Amino acid sequence: MTEYVTSALFVHTEDTTHLIKPLQNNSSGTLITPVAFDALMQSPQKQLEGVDHVVVAGSLDVIKEILYLAMKYHFSIGILPTEKQKDLIKLYGLPKKLPTAVDHALRQDGQPLDLILCNGKIMLFKAIIGRMPFLDTSIKVSWLRLVSVALKKFVGFRLYPFTFSTDSKQEINTAASGCMILQHHRGIFASRLNAYDHSFKGGMVSLVISAPISIIAYVKLLMRVLRSSTGYKKLPSSIGYIKSPQIDIRSETRLDVIIDDQHATHTPLHCEAIAKAVHVNVGKNLGVESSSANASKEKIDINNLPREKKLFKAKKQKRIPFFSYASDERFQDLFPALREDSRLNSIYLVLMVLSTMLATVGLYLNSSSVIIGAMLLAPLMAPIVSLAMGILRGNIKLFKDSIGKIVLGVIIALISSAVITSLFPHKPITNEMLARINPTLLDLAVAIISGIAAAYSKSFKEIIQSLAGVAIAVALVPPLAVAGIGIGRMDFYFFYQAFLLFSTNLVGIIISATFTFRILGYSSAVRRKASLVIVFIFLALISIPLYLSYSRIVEDRIFEQSLRKERFLVNEKYLIIVKASIIWRQDKRIILMDILAREPLTREDLNAFKKKIQANFSKKLIIRLKTFYIP
Amino acid sequence: MKNLVHLSILICIVFWLGGCDQKPAITPSGKTIKVGIIAPFSGSDHAKGKEGLKGMETAMQLRPYLQNGDRIELVAENDKDDPALTVKLLKKLVNEVKVSAIITFSSTSPVLAMAKVADEYRTPILAALATHPDTTRHNGFISQLCFDDDFQGTVAAVFVRDDLLIDKVAVFSNPGSIYSSHLAAKFESKFKSIGGEITDTVSLTEETGDLSKVIKSLRDNTPELLYLPISAKDLVRVVREVRKLDWKPKMMGSDGLISTILAQHQEEIDLVDGMLATDFFAHGMPLTPFGKRARDKFRGKYKSMPTVYAALGIEAYSILLDAMNRCSDPANRGYINRQIRSTTNFTGIIGNITIGPNGKAQRPLTINSIQGGRSKFIFKVY
Repeated sequence: MTEYVTSALFVHTEDTTHLIKPLQNNSSGTLITPVAFDALMQSPQKQLEGVDHVVVAGSLDVIKEILYLAMKYHFSIGILPTEKQKDLIKLYGLPKKLPTAVDHALRQDGQPLDLILCNGKIMLFKAIIGRMPFLDTSIKVSWLRLVSVALKKFVGFRLYPFTFSTDSKQEINTAASGCMILQHHRGIFASRLNAYDHSFKGGMVSLVISAPISIIAYVKLLMRVLRSSTGYKKLPSSIGYIKSPQIDIRSETRLDVIIDDQHATHTPLHCEAIAKAVHVNVGKNLGVESSSANASKEKIDINNLPREKKLFKAKKQKRIPFFSYASDERFQDLFPALREDSRLNSIYLVLMVLSTMLATVGLYLNSSSVIIGAMLLAPLMAPIVSLAMGILRGNIKLFKDSIGKIVLGVIIALISSAVITSLFPHKPITNEMLARINPTLLDLAVAIISGIAAAYSKSFKEIIQSLAGVAIAVALVPPLAVAGIGIGRMDFYFFYQAFLLFSTNLVGIIISATFTFRILGYSSAVRRKASLVIVFIFLALISIPLYLSYSRIVEDRIFEQSLRKERFLVNEKYLIIVKASIIWRQDKRIILMDILAREPLTREDLNAFKKKIQANFSKKLIIRLKTFYIP
Repeated sequence: MKNLVHLSILICIVFWLGGCDQKPAITPSGKTIKVGIIAPFSGSDHAKGKEGLKGMETAMQLRPYLQNGDRIELVAENDKDDPALTVKLLKKLVNEVKVSAIITFSSTSPVLAMAKVADEYRTPILAALATHPDTTRHNGFISQLCFDDDFQGTVAAVFVRDDLLIDKVAVFSNPGSIYSSHLAAKFESKFKSIGGEITDTVSLTEETGDLSKVIKSLRDNTPELLYLPISAKDLVRVVREVRKLDWKPKMMGSDGLISTILAQHQEEIDLVDGMLATDFFAHGMPLTPFGKRARDKFRGKYKSMPTVYAALGIEAYSILLDAMNRCSDPANRGYINRQIRSTTNFTGIIGNITIGPNGKAQRPLTINSIQGGRSKFIFKVY
């Protein structure tokens, strides 16, 4: 059976005066004595003499003051929350509707609860020191506001040197972007971290510490937090956790402390949990949960925080780097392989000659399977990836060796295919060749994606077999073979276009592989900037013809499409365009058309048709027609 | 490095500003050149005049002055599509108002009436809508902006035969309209010449009695398509009767049909849904840069999309202005006439327009299908 207090003091503010009547008309027969908060604070001792239970309705500050007085004068507390105090309702599991809230506030079943004091100030929800973007934000906030607030916190995101001291006198020196003391608060993202096992009982202070090694690592953490609605069994990387009856927090620079969203104090900060400090009428569910969490002992989980060497490095950083560093193991795996790839040897030369010969023959045979075989055989990708690392790390030896190996490979390929071409008595131009003399921006896109894939697969031993797929995708040797064929044919246009495709692949792979290694953390910065600038200049230069070529292709496709919706009446003869395609020979634009006509077309008709095409589209079009007659 | 960046930005800005298309500003000369407009602004064809004028005013906003700074003043006269009145207004505009050129949105009959006296008045007349081939045949001063009916009739016939693969067609015509009877005849002769069969030829007049009976007898001959180069009003009558019989042959109209129905028979728009038509433009077809600018201007001014008549108005004004700009004396009627007739590859709304020395225009024709109250583009024919 529910028991109620026989009398209670109702502390109200101007905003909550209207609650006096509903409280006085309570169904439990409790005698209510209303008192204004300001009046109470003038002589609290006198007003609270003989009072066993206080009902309070007011702002968070007012409630905190009453909690102070409760500690001092040992009365129990019932809280009447306003509709806006959703966090408070959630924190203590209070009823939302007024009649139930009145009934709940007057019950005689106040639970003993801990209070956390930070530099002497009561903390009900959370206290934040430094920055923990997103993690310190309320789950209920709109996404737009969440992102805008959190993004601001990323500006000047850095690690601060901190010293945390626990009740057992253990001192932890580390660096962190920020830390947060939590009090039974499930309304923020940080509550989804494993660390959440604090409660109102047990006399412990829970501290979550964030020390991301990079922005990317922090974003990964956030993604993990967002995906989960409950905590993880193991603490996520870059998160530390301390639980102790009292914690002292010191920082080298004085940092502001935000307690319950209000700027309250600054470091150094002394936080202590006062066990069973007050008796408060809390919700039923809260009572059950807290009782199960009673047995608490000091807990320190700081494995993910920077210590010793890492701490020294972190202290030197002006801000948190965007990318993480690769692990020492990965460095040790990758570098010997890259050094080996950059060294010139006879195997490379033989493979280069064989793959070019195979590609050249495949091109003449117009056989895509033979050409794919040549792509797989070609050893050119390895020194290009090494060159990317040489640029990134500023490793001059790696850089020079790789360049030398690539240049020699290219010369060998050009000579090989040129020689084969000159030996061939018949030199047809096949579709496989034509496919490699019209590079566009799309080829650059292929090269960039392949470069990323190449650097990525090279970085992880377990996926290195994927390099074969990359080699097929980017196809370095066939364009070189076509360029060589151009030399053999003494056709500069052929050579130029095919070599442009090869250059596109080369530059695209170098740039994207360099940046992929950078993202994977093989260097804190691109060290050989001058080399990268040169590669970028090349990229800019080849982008011009590629862009022109791409826009030309787009324009041609649109034109081809539009022609299918066009008809011509030439000397009373109706011509239906069934199919139209544009090809380029040298710099001449040729339109190939299949047309349907009922009557035979004379030379005069064809001239009139040509005139119409040239008048309405382009004078420079060369027209080739295939006519189908309607019987 | 910083200096290099600043220098690059500066160079970019200089190039950017330098690259701006700075056309020299035209200084108004204070002189005005009058251009007459003869069109039906009232009566059953009022949409032609009103919409055409809207188009001309839109084009005038785009280019209010000639290159020499002279301003164009439009003087509009309503001929109610009455040939006798048209000739009177021609005389008035030439002798009293002293216009340098005339643009007309009247239909074939009034323009043919003008054709008889055009040489007498020696004033260039640009016919925007009169498609009859005789419009330009026996005079030296009327030029067509539109394609002519020989082209339109032929294209309709070959399209039906070779694109729609239709063998049998019934043709309607209005013997009282030179436009209708000529177009029907042209279609018929071309269709037959390419192996098609004309199942019936129906002469439709106000007096045509029991139309339902006529349509029923047509259906017995199983034509696959009805060719209807008749007025919108007559066409609605025919289509209504066809629908009553629950007969669903393909139907094809001629130029300006959708514009007239939209402007004057809006309530009947569902009735003609699915119908084919030859026309000058279609909704949603690719526009030239000039066409896009004109469409945007028109939409900004009138809060609606330009109709076929409005689009022809835009082109008529622009071609005339272009011709005047090429004259040493832009007010001289003879010079203007010569320049109109040497218009070559003028960029119109959807493509190039050439007007030859014989006054005939070479311009693309569109084949559209009326769908959801709009003309949907199917093919463009050059």
